Amino acid sequence: MGAEMVSPPRSAPTRAPEEPGEPEGPDELADVSFSLNGSMTALRVPVRWTLADVLRERAGATGTHLGCEHGVCGACTVLVDDQPVRSCLMLGVQADGSSVRTIEGVAASDGLHPLQRTFHEQHALQCGYCTPGFIMLALGLLEREPDASQERIRDVLSSNLCRCTGYAPIVRAVMAAQAEMRR
Amino acid sequence: MTTALVRTRAPSVGLALPRVEDDRLVRGDGCYVGDIHRPGQLHARIVRSQVAHANLLAVHVEEARAAPGVVTVVSGSDIPGLSEKRIPIRLSPGQLDRFALQTPLALDRVRYVGEPIAVVVAVDPYLAEDAAEAVWADVEELAPQLDPVPGHGAPLLFDMVPDNAVATFETAHGEDVDDLFRHADVLVHERFSVHRHSAAPMEPRGLLAEFDDDSGRLTVHGPTKVKHFNKRVLADLLELAPDRVLLVEPDVGGGFGPRGEFYPEDFLIPWLAVQLRRPVKWMEDRLENFVALNHSREQVIEVAMAARHDGTLLGFRSTGWCSLGAYVRTTGHTVPRLAGIHMPGPYPWRGFSTKFVSVLTNKTPLGTYRGPGEVEATFARERALDLVAAELGMDPPELRRRNLIRSDALPYRVDTGAGSEPLVYDSGDFPAALDQLLVAAEYEELRRSQAARRQDGEAVGIGVACFFDQGGIGPFEQARVVAEPDGTFTGYVGVSSIGQGVQTALAQILADELGVDVDRVRIDHRDTDSISDGTGAFASRTTSFGGSALILAARKLHEVARARGADVLGVNDGEVTVEGDEVVTGNGRSVALAALGCEAAATFESTHVDFSFGSAVAVVSVDRPTGKVTVERYLGHYDVGRAVNPLIVRGQLDGGAAQGLGGALLEDLAYDDQGQPLSTSFMDYMIPTLCELPTVQSSWSEHPSSGNLVGAKGAGEAGIIGTLAAVANAVADALAPDGVIVRSSPFTADRIRALLRGSDAPMSVQPSQVGAG
Repeated sequence: MGAEMVSPPRSAPTRAPEEPGEPEGPDELADVSFSLNGSMTALRVPVRWTLADVLRERAGATGTHLGCEHGVCGACTVLVDDQPVRSCLMLGVQADGSSVRTIEGVAASDGLHPLQRTFHEQHALQCGYCTPGFIMLALGLLEREPDASQERIRDVLSSNLCRCTGYAPIVRAVMAAQAEMRR
Repeated sequence: MTTALVRTRAPSVGLALPRVEDDRLVRGDGCYVGDIHRPGQLHARIVRSQVAHANLLAVHVEEARAAPGVVTVVSGSDIPGLSEKRIPIRLSPGQLDRFALQTPLALDRVRYVGEPIAVVVAVDPYLAEDAAEAVWADVEELAPQLDPVPGHGAPLLFDMVPDNAVATFETAHGEDVDDLFRHADVLVHERFSVHRHSAAPMEPRGLLAEFDDDSGRLTVHGPTKVKHFNKRVLADLLELAPDRVLLVEPDVGGGFGPRGEFYPEDFLIPWLAVQLRRPVKWMEDRLENFVALNHSREQVIEVAMAARHDGTLLGFRSTGWCSLGAYVRTTGHTVPRLAGIHMPGPYPWRGFSTKFVSVLTNKTPLGTYRGPGEVEATFARERALDLVAAELGMDPPELRRRNLIRSDALPYRVDTGAGSEPLVYDSGDFPAALDQLLVAAEYEELRRSQAARRQDGEAVGIGVACFFDQGGIGPFEQARVVAEPDGTFTGYVGVSSIGQGVQTALAQILADELGVDVDRVRIDHRDTDSISDGTGAFASRTTSFGGSALILAARKLHEVARARGADVLGVNDGEVTVEGDEVVTGNGRSVALAALGCEAAATFESTHVDFSFGSAVAVVSVDRPTGKVTVERYLGHYDVGRAVNPLIVRGQLDGGAAQGLGGALLEDLAYDDQGQPLSTSFMDYMIPTLCELPTVQSSWSEHPSSGNLVGAKGAGEAGIIGTLAAVANAVADALAPDGVIVRSSPFTADRIRALLRGSDAPMSVQPSQVGAG
């Protein structure tokens, strides 16, 4: 054991268990406020934190997942002003004044969104890690282009990576949801 | 619920029930390790070697210790007794392992880029990462050893491991191979190589460890796959009693073999939590994942194979070299050992011999990945078979059809030499299964279409592969079933969920055995406290072994319930039966299991191993100018024993095939000549998007396993095993008019162009025809 570790602190600093407080470090902080799934959210966050980290670590929205942190896999896809974005490639402070939608805001109060239900019915998820990103990507597409062709859907869905399913059930799920959403 | 005394329930096993796991996951309510927070938690960042091979003279941590937000920085010399804390192996030991086990931090030498040399702990992950950049090391670089087939004089990773050959595995069967070769009409001899690739699960690893002073207990969130083994290893390395250690499995974002083994971080993070008495969290980033998580597959396999003019296969000899990386990790030599076991495949050889060598290389250590060794052996054997077919002028499926072990010869036993367990292929109908696949593929039509497209100058190929999926490895699995007060039942299991759908499939098995509706059964695989022991989730064993243990526990629960129920009802044991959730007497009196408070635990043990038959067809086109290979169709047919949930089985088979096609076409854990990894992001290591994949067509038959109570043979790995071989044979077929021989994977555009330019130099021994003896 190194000398500096002989006397470890015996008790942890007291913090609320649910919402970690402001970081202790020397980072420059900034105020950011945005609408998160329809609720106004005001936070003071380090300016260099990504939107994904702000959502996950400060806003409790852990359904947004990090798979690569350099914008390739799409697991962190959220809607910012209704556009799908990689929340790992955007700083939290850049979301100031925006409307941010995450997987937690997709289900209606009376049940699953059609995309969530069709992913379940079509077995379009296994480990589920990429699923929120795919659902947000598909939601952004189908809201703006309700009549998107299968070719267009496949093209857009090829932005994100899944390691379990081989994608065919994901395409089927999105097509089925599209049919339902158009009704 | 009604209170009808006699209820008829349709069994749920066999139904394609959508998964119980999904609701939370599609809502974003899953709880992966990164989603767990603890008050006062600290964040760890691992500092890793940036050179492949060097003497480690000093690790300088002072500057990092002074950095903002840093709580501590630890290098190898800061952990007492570290040189004795070597991570043990779990499977497939080899002869010289004791010299080549890894310590959690490097001590005096580094042997691969990515090897941990220090850990920084800070109050937030950004600050930990900043400080990690201030750790630096004095190193004396050594020449790297990167060759899976090293010559004499290659740099040694360990002085005590001559020629870097840390283990050798040999099998031999039947008649003398040289004698068979002398009497052969056709003999082919070729050296094949499979490239390094691996799992790349979408969720990188992570751990959150906390030590509770009051109870003296350590809790670690994040372990998976083999939790009970990992618990014992951790307790041993920390010198804690095993009952002081609790491992908790959160939701897991993909396993595929590498994830969940005991890695250096699985010691470091808990050790820090114990030392600091604060929760310590570590989240792996994607770059780390590419250099820290086990790699797999890299093997060179030389095959000499003999046949008669009529296509009768006689014998083969194979020698393999597996590039094991820098240390022997927990899965030991499973990869080369299974490659040896799978070299014969589903054919009745009169004689064969195999020799596989584990060779240490200055690369990330290699372990098991979905279909370990099986993918590589299938590639080498099925490629060699196509060379035999070409020599004979025979259609490749016809060569296989003439040789596949026939159903009237099952069970078929292959003795593989002294000290080795015989291989037993117990059930199935291999020729019929292959024919079924060829019919589904419309093979004759494919050949006609190929001929027409060739006329037009296209390079189109059809490849076929047959193989075994080895599933259901023992030795045991445990289960405990509890009749809950609310009328539901909980089945605790020692297997793990890495995203496969374990909770759904095992609930179906347990519900049927209990005679209750599946929605009243819940499966709990979460932690090492709920059940005393378990083996884990690997080798396609979760459903067969976990399910069998649940069946035994359910039967025992009914015994307990009968005894208690009879007591409560004031009758003899023999006068009651269990009907679903009630114990009933012949005259209609009853008591609910929920009221009896019963539970029972059981262990299922078996040494039986299933070799289930599978076959695959790939259709590819090759764009000669760019070298791009497109898989147009991929079909597989597999014997899954019993499809407990066809929806999940299809997902496993299709998903496995998709993953294998990525490995065949795109993914490559390449290194430069200094041992620097070239694939460290998803921009270099390209797992397929939906644009690169055909629609995979999987089908299956069910010849129940005799080795477990479920009858399942496993579906987790079957889909991937034939991918590399079928694609390789299809590419070879497509390029046959160009006069090239396909020996090496992957089939990336640059490799194909090199092949067409003739720069993939043929080995010294050429396929040759020898006279009839």
